[in-house]
Amino acid sequence: MKILVCVSKTPETTANINFTNNNTEFDTNGVSFIMNPYDEWYALVRALELTEANGGSVTIVNVGPSINDAVIKKGLAIGAKDAVRIDAEPTSALFVAKQIAAYAKSEAYDIIFTGKESIDYNGSLVGGMIAELLDLPYISYASSMELAGSTATLQREIEGGTEVVQLDTPFVVSAAKGMAEQRIPNMRGIMMAKKKPLNVATAEAAQSNEKVVEFKEVPKDRAIKMINPEDMAELVRLLHEEAKAI
Amino acid sequence: MAAYTDMEHIRFVLHEMLQASTLCEFERYKDYDKEAFDILIDSTKDYADKFMYPLLKEMDEQPAHYKDGKIIVHPAVGKFMKYCGENGSIGSTFDYEHGGMQLPHTVYSAVSHIVQAANNALPGYTGLTQGAADLLVTYASPELIEKYVPKMMKGEWGGTMCLTEPQAGSSLSDITTTAYPQEDGSYKIKGQKIFISGGDHEYADNIVHLLIGRIEGAPAGTKGISLFVVPKKRINEDGSLESNDVITAGDFQKMGQRGYCTTHLVFGENDDCRAWLVGAENRGLKNMFQMMNGARIDVGLTAASVASAAYHASLQYAKERPQGRRIQAGGVKNTNQEQTTIINHPDVRRMLHLQEAVTEACISLLLTASNYQDRAHFGPEEERQKYHELLELITPIAKTYPSEMGRVSVSNGLQVLGGYGFCQDFPLEQYYRDIRIMALYEGTTGIQSLDLLGRKVIMNNGSAMKHLTKEFISTIKEATSFDDLKPYAEQLKSASKELASTTQHLLTFAMQGDHERYIADATVYMEMMSNIVIAWQWLKMATIAKTALVSGNTIQSTSFYERKVHTMKFYFKYELPKIAACKHTLHSEDNLTIPEANQVAFS
Ligand SMILES: Cc1cc2nc3c(=O)[nH]c(=O)nc-3n(C[C@H](O)[C@H](O)[C@H](O)COP(=O)(O)OP(=O)(O)OC[C@H]3O[C@@H](n4cnc5c(N)ncnc54)[C@H](O)[C@@H]3O)c2cc1C
Repeated sequence: MKILVCVSKTPETTANINFTNNNTEFDTNGVSFIMNPYDEWYALVRALELTEANGGSVTIVNVGPSINDAVIKKGLAIGAKDAVRIDAEPTSALFVAKQIAAYAKSEAYDIIFTGKESIDYNGSLVGGMIAELLDLPYISYASSMELAGSTATLQREIEGGTEVVQLDTPFVVSAAKGMAEQRIPNMRGIMMAKKKPLNVATAEAAQSNEKVVEFKEVPKDRAIKMINPEDMAELVRLLHEEAKAI
Repeated sequence: MAAYTDMEHIRFVLHEMLQASTLCEFERYKDYDKEAFDILIDSTKDYADKFMYPLLKEMDEQPAHYKDGKIIVHPAVGKFMKYCGENGSIGSTFDYEHGGMQLPHTVYSAVSHIVQAANNALPGYTGLTQGAADLLVTYASPELIEKYVPKMMKGEWGGTMCLTEPQAGSSLSDITTTAYPQEDGSYKIKGQKIFISGGDHEYADNIVHLLIGRIEGAPAGTKGISLFVVPKKRINEDGSLESNDVITAGDFQKMGQRGYCTTHLVFGENDDCRAWLVGAENRGLKNMFQMMNGARIDVGLTAASVASAAYHASLQYAKERPQGRRIQAGGVKNTNQEQTTIINHPDVRRMLHLQEAVTEACISLLLTASNYQDRAHFGPEEERQKYHELLELITPIAKTYPSEMGRVSVSNGLQVLGGYGFCQDFPLEQYYRDIRIMALYEGTTGIQSLDLLGRKVIMNNGSAMKHLTKEFISTIKEATSFDDLKPYAEQLKSASKELASTTQHLLTFAMQGDHERYIADATVYMEMMSNIVIAWQWLKMATIAKTALVSGNTIQSTSFYERKVHTMKFYFKYELPKIAACKHTLHSEDNLTIPEANQVAFS
């Protein structure tokens, strides 16, 4: 079983978010970065569990500059066998998907995992695009996945219930909460990470056809009002008159 | 999420102050890199957030206790020992050869700080196991190492240090536990040890006590003390375990660190307690000091960590609690205005600043001490002696300042919460109780101060003090290159001179043969010197921050570095001037505490 897990780098959840350059760029000054939790906690960990149970190996892929190596090495510390960094600025979802698809084409992965979304731009796009570019089936937002031979059974949480899907490898899947549990790298894993291969690949020529013209922040003046829990009438009045929500 | 430490500060100290990645140039640490250090501290924080901090209060409310001859501890103890064993973190600083990870002490201390700040009742169980295993690895025979260390490293067996007896606490030369030589080379032990941390519990299959005692007929005093390994259960040829006549007589009920058991152990009540010598006969106390020195740094680190947790809890509270109004120009308050949050009151800010200043400098000092340890053992040969002496000199300070000023800092944190600080709804009252032990165990503040003035300051003709003064001078020089840091550099320079003149003044008593007078006020000397050492840490941090700001070579946000300079100024305005009072006391002609000269007192 050969599995590829696509990982991205996102700001830490508690980071202060500011923009520069006329609000067109994210200000990285003083921001710490982490591996996107959906990629790490769910996609990578489930991939490792599957190979631990069925044999095989997990490779990590990231599109980004060398500064991303820190995040990639965390994935190696958690247990991936090796990693590939495609050396380019990840300018758009399509650009990233094209890079990963170009790399994956010749490698014949049985399963390609992504997280359900990245917690910074929340696009949920890359997985679907990779599947399209490789002409593979795509299951999005999977919250569990079992494997019997080359047949996978996945569950997706949908409005009002659960959808159960079955398909054969190869395919692309985006992992949501429930798929696995966070695995904290242990000391041995961290030490071994340095010795595992982190290959750097050159990017394919590809263009981004979109550009960000502005990031707008949520207005900061929304005050919080505390209401006595006994006073339902006041809550209803406020929701009606002030918040205009009902 | 609950805040108990500042990861940015840890990264700043590790990477920008101590350049931790340069340690990877040493042969011993070549398998590491900066990323590995970062992954390790981040993962530790993840684990501490999820599994340690949430149990802090519960472990206090369900304290360790004695029941039917057993010590009952919180089940988290078992889970934590297992986790640390599997993870490889017990003995992480040990040689590969002994199953260790050769992790630099500097990084280990950063990791240790995070877990201690999250829950200070748990790490002692593994910390003592590590310390005991370290003693075995250094001094025991290969057979003993093979027998005990692997299981300790796996977290299956616990370890302790058994020094204290009812009549011998600070004065270990008075211990009476006796070892009777047996024909097979082992010893039979008889005696009692009290206050033994981690001394017994159900989550370790065996407890390996590293115990000091006297071989029958050994000379009196410290020269007759030997070190032994005494398992709770002895190991038979086939690997099975049998009782070794170590009886648990009780568990001390304490005001703080209630989740961490403190036991009373009786050895050889039935004349069947076997022990094996570790290291040479009568060299026990000297050998034990290896574990004690490490443990002193650990205690300082725990104190700094509890103070850190208290700081972050009170900071969070101060940002949320509305109370009162600011005084406006003309001295009036506008009561029609909404209340302000208390973080806007200057007096509350002063208390928070004190906490910040104490906590952050303690962390940097302790990581610096661990860095000295790395350099003293594994750095370039020609520098080892210097770092060894610096470590020796700094150890009593690194244990005492966080214990004493950490307590003051937590008290200020509790004050920030007003009446709520005194109540169990907030963690401050627990932190206040938990931190109180730090100034007591591993040598009280009084004993640490005697060690500082009576031994460390004068060892090798004052060589360690000379090294430290050089460190001060180098920081002062770097700070002086920034105009706005110059006044603070000057202030540290004159403080350092005052310390030198005070040391000289006290030494005249020693030279006249009046040694008791020389050390009578050692604790005041400790207070003065540690205040200056902390000022040095702040000037160093401020200089690094200023360098980053001026060069634009910033890893953290600009405001992070600006805050460092600001807090340094706070320390130099509010804390450093207190050395004048110490100096006054130490230079005073009045001798008021030596009994013979003051028979009227307490009569
Ligand atoms: C919670 C807890 C855990 C502990 N864990 C361990 C452990 O794991 N292993 C272990 O062996 N011990 C342990 N101890 C014991 C601890 O190290 C001692 O309590 C400590 O060293 C002080 O000894 P003592 O209590 O007998 O006090 P004393 O030695 O009686 O001291 C009383 C006071 O007199 C002062 N004093 C004593 N001698 C002098 C002197 N020569 N000059 C000036 N002042 C002096 C002290 O500073 C102190 O203020 C623990 C204690 C506690 C409370």
